[in-house]
Amino acid sequence: MISLYVGSTAGYSGKTLVSMGLAYKLKEDGLRIGYIKPVGILPVKVNDILTDNDAWRIYRALELKDPISEICPVVLTQELMVKGLLKDIKGLMGKIEKAYQMLSADKDILIVGGYGSIYTGNILGIQGVKVINRLKSKVVIVVKYEGEYVVDYILQAKKDLGNNFIGVILNKVAYEYKQSVNDYIVPFLNRKGVDIIGIIPHDSVVGSITVEELNEMLGGKILCCHARLDNLVENFLIGAMQVDKAIEYFKKTRNNAVIAGGDRSDIQLSAIESGSVCLILTGDLYPNEIILSRAEEKNIPILVVRDDTYTVAKKLERLSVRLRLRDKAKIDRGMKLITENVNFPLLYKKLGIKIDQ
Amino acid sequence: MLKNFFNPESIAVIGASRTPGKVGYDILKNIVQHGYQGSVYPINPIAQEIIGLKSYPSILDVADKIGLAVIVVPPKMVLEIIEQCGKKGIDSAIIITAGFKESGLEGARLESELIKKAKSSGVRFIGPNCLGLIDTHSMVNASFAAGMPKKGSIGFFSQSGALCLAVLDKALPEDIGFSKFISMGNKADISDTDIMLALAEDDNTKVVLGYIEGVNNGKEFMQVASQISKKKPVIILKSGITSSGAKAASSHTGSLAGREAAFNSAFKQSGVIQAHTISELFNYALAFANQPLPKGPNIAIITNSGGPGILAADASDKSGLQLVTLQKETIDKLRGFLPSAASFYNPIDILGDSGAERYEKALSTVLQDENIQGVIVLLTPTAVIDVNATAKAIGNIASSVDKPLLASFMGKKSTEEGSKILLSHNIPNYSYPEEAVSSLNAMYKYHLWINRHEKTYPKIEGLKDRVYHIFEEVKKENRQRLTESEIHEVLKAYGFTQPRSLFARTSEEAVAASKGIGYPVAMKIVSPQIVHKSDIGGVRINLNSKKDIENAFFEITTHVRNIMPTAHIHGVMIQEMITTGKEVITGITKDIQFGHMIMFGLGGIYVEVLKDVSFRIVPLSQEDAHEMIRETKTFPLLRGVRGESEADIEAIEKSLLRLSQMAIDFPQIIEADINPLLVKKRGEGVVAIDARFSIGGE
Repeated sequence: MISLYVGSTAGYSGKTLVSMGLAYKLKEDGLRIGYIKPVGILPVKVNDILTDNDAWRIYRALELKDPISEICPVVLTQELMVKGLLKDIKGLMGKIEKAYQMLSADKDILIVGGYGSIYTGNILGIQGVKVINRLKSKVVIVVKYEGEYVVDYILQAKKDLGNNFIGVILNKVAYEYKQSVNDYIVPFLNRKGVDIIGIIPHDSVVGSITVEELNEMLGGKILCCHARLDNLVENFLIGAMQVDKAIEYFKKTRNNAVIAGGDRSDIQLSAIESGSVCLILTGDLYPNEIILSRAEEKNIPILVVRDDTYTVAKKLERLSVRLRLRDKAKIDRGMKLITENVNFPLLYKKLGIKIDQ
Repeated sequence: MLKNFFNPESIAVIGASRTPGKVGYDILKNIVQHGYQGSVYPINPIAQEIIGLKSYPSILDVADKIGLAVIVVPPKMVLEIIEQCGKKGIDSAIIITAGFKESGLEGARLESELIKKAKSSGVRFIGPNCLGLIDTHSMVNASFAAGMPKKGSIGFFSQSGALCLAVLDKALPEDIGFSKFISMGNKADISDTDIMLALAEDDNTKVVLGYIEGVNNGKEFMQVASQISKKKPVIILKSGITSSGAKAASSHTGSLAGREAAFNSAFKQSGVIQAHTISELFNYALAFANQPLPKGPNIAIITNSGGPGILAADASDKSGLQLVTLQKETIDKLRGFLPSAASFYNPIDILGDSGAERYEKALSTVLQDENIQGVIVLLTPTAVIDVNATAKAIGNIASSVDKPLLASFMGKKSTEEGSKILLSHNIPNYSYPEEAVSSLNAMYKYHLWINRHEKTYPKIEGLKDRVYHIFEEVKKENRQRLTESEIHEVLKAYGFTQPRSLFARTSEEAVAASKGIGYPVAMKIVSPQIVHKSDIGGVRINLNSKKDIENAFFEITTHVRNIMPTAHIHGVMIQEMITTGKEVITGITKDIQFGHMIMFGLGGIYVEVLKDVSFRIVPLSQEDAHEMIRETKTFPLLRGVRGESEADIEAIEKSLLRLSQMAIDFPQIIEADINPLLVKKRGEGVVAIDARFSIGGE
């Protein structure tokens, strides 16, 4: 049985998507796969069983049959975190091991999904590195590429993981970084003995957010087009300029949501007419009836939020790095990205997997 | 006060011109031609004489004393002229010249220098950028307006010169009289309140009328207005009340326009009669200037046709006036001479074949009725009626009674002359019955204002020190918003009852807390980043068991962390559930011009949509608190509908007064609201369920 840990050097690097994509391909290649997330941070109750939402999504995507109670043995609820901070909690590592043993029984490979970075987990005495050593997993590190500085984290992780480390997947590589990654970063890492398992380009669909999620995050009220809450928003625009300029700018940007004051009917109409996918009206100001009926006609949901335009923009800026894989369209697109951009022959070689072609 | 402006011994026109059509010419001509008795000195650097008057190169060349300087020179020269005025011992000036604050940055700079210069030279001035002023009693017309109004008792001041002209032009053909007419311009020195005080002291002025776009000092305005409104009616049209209007107003004279709620409250609290349109301004002024105040709301309407009578009755119904039934003896008397088809109840329809005589008899009979405190006479110009004779007949009766009498002779062609006859007997005539009703209603409201009891300000004491320390702490940490526990302390210090609540970090603590408080309880997220807890699913109510608590704790914390990962969750607050009561909202807001205001409205989650709220400016009197609750449309809900019991309205009043006291004690409060404030049954009090506080500044 092969144990593959998908870890990272920072949270929100794309571990869930990578795990899902790798598992999907492995399954397609005929391996009996399983998935475990030792520590979950997105608590959810499924049939009254406490588990992790990402784990639960992967479980369903891979059509796994294991008992739900075992796929995420430790769920970091507010409760558990506060208790861990107030007093040391014992026995969690044992719990993880027990679940791991059970899930690995009938598998060729078990994918272990890390949480946060490989260094987090000390509050509960189950730091990622410690879990890796205990489970004797091979580790792929997923790194969100944001500049040269990430190589330091990669090299540190390689050092800390020793023989367990098998390589790195550079994720979310923006178009403008592509050339310098190929020309400088990859050769450098190779020279330092780091294998590049994959380079995943940034994708605006995967980086998008549904109108429904948006509304939840902003604590808004949905005024119309409830059927279109799954619209994917890829870009945010602030509508604060003159109308003629605004239309030009709205038209140029794909799948945009326009943030504008609730009293700016001119901007609201321009956004609707130029095909925005969502309107976010700020200041708790409700739009005119005309706007609502036009939006209804054009199927563009309108949210009203309490904050001012700048605060909303600031919130979105902060939240955009913490997107979750929730939407089917996003998952499909993400899996495709992984299967197309991961060097599976290299990965298989590293893991000692042989596929009869 | 401001004597040299309105009744100067002599006037110098600096910048007087020989060219007809120039402002410097028109002003000089106006002064001379409208019968001013004092000396007039045209000042012009080159002219020898202008319209027959000897001209001087400078005021310093005039040997005699000068009372008032009217300045029409280009803006750059104004400062120098003001300095000369100082040297010459002139203490009053009207600066007609434009090109100051209203024209941009350069002009604004010039204006602030002008203010300094005038102060150091000992000169008070009206303007700049104004039309001038008129005093019909001292025959001063130091303006470039066309024409001089009739002598009268309305004192009018206006921020807009153009409006002055329009009002004057309308007044002239209709023989409407004014005492004083002042165009205020930029109000760089003499302000609305200065002029209001001057008009208040002026014996020739019975009614103070004003058009303002903004005030310089809200509190001072209120103080002066309430002082004057006890003596004379103050009627004001404030523009720039809507946001679009405010945009236009601020680009107009550069004054900051206040918010609608603030101005409405300020007017209400200081007894100012607010006109909403120019025609209302006029209508009210005419009524107040010519007729005695009604002693009560009971009015009678006499008409010669049904339709207008009904319209007037409808309008009365919507106002504070009441159409009461006449006394039996009055009705009997009316029966004595009116045709049997007439209507003897209010409105009294004396039928379309009425002539002057029937009007006269009916009116004098109705006026004698002790139940009736005011009368509106409506007239439709039928073929049979002699309008002018009717006007005269009505006029003759009116002067003998101390009850207000307003007329609405409808139409124009055949009533124009009659309207003038009425006005010559001090009876204002209105084109439409609704106008007469709203004018009489304004008079009735003013009657209530001057006869109301002195406002009472109940003494409320909060634990000021405790709150002071909390605010200091918040300030030290550079925060604006108060935390849950700070708010709890602040409200407690000012005597607000709050539900019992306990903080819990874990679900076990939450269960223990709930047992301590007793089920059912409510649970709320505690996080410094979350202000509107229910917006993001941070509140659960009606929790009845251990299981409920555990689930709620899990759901709230998980949900909040999911959608606001950056928010720090400190724990939850377990709160006693108060299940019975009505939700209202109360709060403190701060207006830039008038300072703190207290807000009240029927609360809950719909408050922002319904916007059924009322405001009063701090300090709140007992009467203010009483009225503002009753002003909301939803007030009857508090009284109880369909057999509900009445809510504790007195306790709400007290809460409003407590907030007012808090605002007085702590100018640094920017905003506070208690939403919901749960109102229990009468006598059982109110409970502040949730609140927000922001402080800053000062």
